[in-house]
Amino acid sequence: MLFECAHRERSERMSPTADPIAHFGAMIDRCYDYAEAAKAAGRPIVGIMCEFTPREIILAANAVPVCLCGGSAATIPAAEQVLPTNLCPLIKSTFGYHLTGNNPFLNWADLIVAETTCDGKKKMFELLGESKPMHVLELPHKANAPEALAYWTDEVRKLKTALETRFGLQITDADLRRAIRLMNRERGLRRRLAQLMRHDPPPLTGRQLLEFKSIISGMEPDLDQYESALRLLTARTAHTATTVDNRARVLLTGVPLVHGAERVLELIENSGAVVVAMENCTGLKPILDDVDELDPDPLAAIARKYYHLPCSVLTPNSGRLCTLRELAAAYRPHCVIELIWQACLTYDVESHHVRKLAEEELHLPYLKITTDYSPSDSARITARIEALLETARPD
Amino acid sequence: MICAGIDAGSRAIKVVLFDHARSMVIGRGLADQGVAQPRLAEEIFAATLSKAGIDRHQVRSVVATGYGRNRVAFATTTITEITCHARGVFHLAPDTRSIVEIGGQDSKVIRLENGGRVRDFAMNDRCAAGTGRFLEILAARLDADWSKLGDLSQQSRQPALISSTCVVFAETEIIGLLAEGVPAADIAAGVQNSIATRVMAMAGRPLTAPVLFTGGVALQPGMVRALATTLDCPVQVAPEPQFTGALGAALLAARIAATASTSSP
Repeated sequence: MLFECAHRERSERMSPTADPIAHFGAMIDRCYDYAEAAKAAGRPIVGIMCEFTPREIILAANAVPVCLCGGSAATIPAAEQVLPTNLCPLIKSTFGYHLTGNNPFLNWADLIVAETTCDGKKKMFELLGESKPMHVLELPHKANAPEALAYWTDEVRKLKTALETRFGLQITDADLRRAIRLMNRERGLRRRLAQLMRHDPPPLTGRQLLEFKSIISGMEPDLDQYESALRLLTARTAHTATTVDNRARVLLTGVPLVHGAERVLELIENSGAVVVAMENCTGLKPILDDVDELDPDPLAAIARKYYHLPCSVLTPNSGRLCTLRELAAAYRPHCVIELIWQACLTYDVESHHVRKLAEEELHLPYLKITTDYSPSDSARITARIEALLETARPD
Repeated sequence: MICAGIDAGSRAIKVVLFDHARSMVIGRGLADQGVAQPRLAEEIFAATLSKAGIDRHQVRSVVATGYGRNRVAFATTTITEITCHARGVFHLAPDTRSIVEIGGQDSKVIRLENGGRVRDFAMNDRCAAGTGRFLEILAARLDADWSKLGDLSQQSRQPALISSTCVVFAETEIIGLLAEGVPAADIAAGVQNSIATRVMAMAGRPLTAPVLFTGGVALQPGMVRALATTLDCPVQVAPEPQFTGALGAALLAARIAATASTSSP
């Protein structure tokens, strides 16, 4: 179900669900209700485009951060009237939603916060900014330069000022600390859910785990549901501890699987494997680290956490390889699959390092899948996944 | 024990019957692929059996592979082309370290370990650049028969430079070259080089010799030379290169039949 499918039978949907896992099934509907109610209560909606966006600053401004990344093939033809065809589908789909007006969250957004990450996004934001209020943070790209963090911290500070000016309020350190605690709780819970996949067999499929990812950050009612889900699933792992699982365990890396673009994950799991770890922006990458709650300067602590996100736009992006090593040790995959959205240059070029790491250091079979949102190559992708699994787990 | 492998490719369906007691191929069949895939597979399988004088119930197991593998209703199981080609090649030439397979709409590069196990592989994405499809388009553009293209390419003095990124772009280039009066032989040789270049880019690294060339495109004269020149290493064409996948499938079918008989009560 994509953004446009948020239906209108609220009373039905608001009733509490006994099963916390089923609760996360209707994510877009819940987000729709939450954002609509928040807007009615006077809270601004702030659209975000990336995991570099510090959610805490937006939450401290009493605004609702909503991810606007598009995962629908249907909005791409509209986008291609303006954008080049040979551009990443995530960028085209996001912009296509803007042109077609089919994303209510984008329509509601009082402001969009974006960053200078990849060239495609950066230039698309200029076009989006022609008709939407837009604040762009400049992200320095040299990962290990000390002055880069100082620069980024200043950019985050300017975002705080911009939100204060736009929404006519003061963001205090106490506001920031409250937001930090909320986001740390959210990250911690999602991290613990993801860590359940270390079990053999894992209590969920990768696809089920992805359902726990919401497009809205800091949605408190969901956090209690995470707690219940954790209790339920932890009990489940105790029951299945002796079950023999002959599915190959997959470490998935590369581009994010934004809402609506989960096809490759489904193809992998329908081929008889289970994705135990997702090192991408919709998986573990942004939730591995928390913001230091004890730092005397909460804004600097927020900037530091976000700056260390190991994204392929950074150079060198050695942090990503470190994460992959740690995930391989903790989740014990049988193979590594890397997903690249077509024309995503930074991830595509970086795949050279990932392949080398997988094959030469981790000694795991590696497969790179390059595709877009159109399902026409599903059979071909499946053949490659099956061949990889035949290689990874020969009988 | 008789087992069968059926390779339902994008352009042709190939059948191999293998007698494991005598360790030899006892039947082969080849038919054009089409719309009614399940029926076409059934027909060529039946025809191959009857030509070999084998009754269907004598066939212990059938492995289907290839792009249409899931539409072969009578298959015991399916195994991907990668594993089947590797198995077939290991049987034919056990020293092989790299396989280049170019079929109707696929191309793959498979690297093998000692003992014939797949080390890794690469396969073309959505685009048919670097596959037999490109040769078909060329044949149509040159008004030539597919089977004559190879001979034509042999007459080339100066192969034309043709892009290897996209078949549609390349077709536009061919039209341009024809308009400039470039000889058809040079265009044909240029297309073969373009396919070889694409395959090399797909492999992403130098191939370890010995390299064996399989798939229907290996039958075309000139193609092996283009590949050897581009890869800068000797390349051998597999015996009956179209049947490598089906042969591998038939060999793997024996293992499946053996597993099934030991696990049954």
